[in-house]
Amino acid sequence: MKMGTIFTVVRRYFGRLCYFLFLSIAASAASAQTPIFEIEIREHLFFPAEIEIPANQKVKLIIYNHDATPEEFESYELNREKVIVGNSQGVVFIGPLKPGEYPFFGEFNLKTALGKIIVK
Amino acid sequence: MTDAVVIVLREVLEAMLLICMLMASSTAMGYRFRWLGLALLLGVCGATIYALGLERISMSFDGFGQEIVNATLLIAIAVLLAGHNYLAVKQLTDFSYRIPYGLLLLVFVGTVSMAMTREGAEIYLYGYSYGVLAGNKSSVFSGGAIGVGIGLSVGTFFYYGLKSLPRNKRLITCCVVSLVLAAGMMGQAALFLSQADLLPSPQPLWDTSNIFTEASLVGELLHAAVGYEASPSLTQVLLYLGSIFTSLAAMFAAWVLSRKPVNVALGESQ
Repeated sequence: MKMGTIFTVVRRYFGRLCYFLFLSIAASAASAQTPIFEIEIREHLFFPAEIEIPANQKVKLIIYNHDATPEEFESYELNREKVIVGNSQGVVFIGPLKPGEYPFFGEFNLKTALGKIIVK
Repeated sequence: MTDAVVIVLREVLEAMLLICMLMASSTAMGYRFRWLGLALLLGVCGATIYALGLERISMSFDGFGQEIVNATLLIAIAVLLAGHNYLAVKQLTDFSYRIPYGLLLLVFVGTVSMAMTREGAEIYLYGYSYGVLAGNKSSVFSGGAIGVGIGLSVGTFFYYGLKSLPRNKRLITCCVVSLVLAAGMMGQAALFLSQADLLPSPQPLWDTSNIFTEASLVGELLHAAVGYEASPSLTQVLLYLGSIFTSLAAMFAAWVLSRKPVNVALGESQ
């Protein structure tokens, strides 16, 4: 009797369980396809200074610092800050974001190291 | 030089508010500032180690070591600040209560040294690479000194403001300041965890950058004092509120625990 009820419960929910499993696998596959964008720092400037990224989607930003000096990638609009040591790289996830312009700067070179992310 | 002033001031301000609040609080708890020396020493050591190890730390945890260390430090500070509020309320409800010195050391030294580790590492990195290595010592260090000077004067002003209050009010004000500082730190921890994709980063709930931009002086001050963010995400707001709730819970617990013996004592005397 007890085994029977367990069996019917399992049978009833098995489909749903499979569905959720499928959904979560699909979601993790989607997150594996997070688009990657790259920014380089040379002579305390960002290259490119303007980057276009897709709206409403998480994006992986890789920042390469080719200078010997450290730089802090920072943005008030993106709510991001990360120190990138000289001759190394750093990864920052941003978004999903609404369309618009999101300026960023290098904290250690406030006047020159300026750039923006354009979300379309 | 102005770059150096701004960079150093930004880092110093938050730590300064924290230190001055704890100094005022320790006077109200009947302790001198002997803990401060140890805290500053550990803070300087921590900052140096963090700055020197930053490259290795950054590479760890799939390139998110920096975010994880920062978030851990911020959460630990917020927890210790809730501990401070617990002790402060215990002191408030029972004036004969003497907070054990070890406990006070743990909370006060822990908070200050961890805050300095985080903020100091950036100053160290900037000063060393842009001042010493780049041969730009005079402008970077004079700018840094001005930044520290402004931070110190804001701190002094804040400390004497708090100290002018009578003991009870001083403790209550310190609790409020500590509550808000801790919430701001949890908000920042949320930022680091979202940056590393460990917590979701939903779109901002609101945007008040047309009133105060975070880059403005008022914005910076508000950021240091209450963790102001012009466009916070739900993750940040939830952790901010969670921290306030934890702190309030700690204060309530202290109040309940301290009140019981008083009630019993009153009941017996009547």
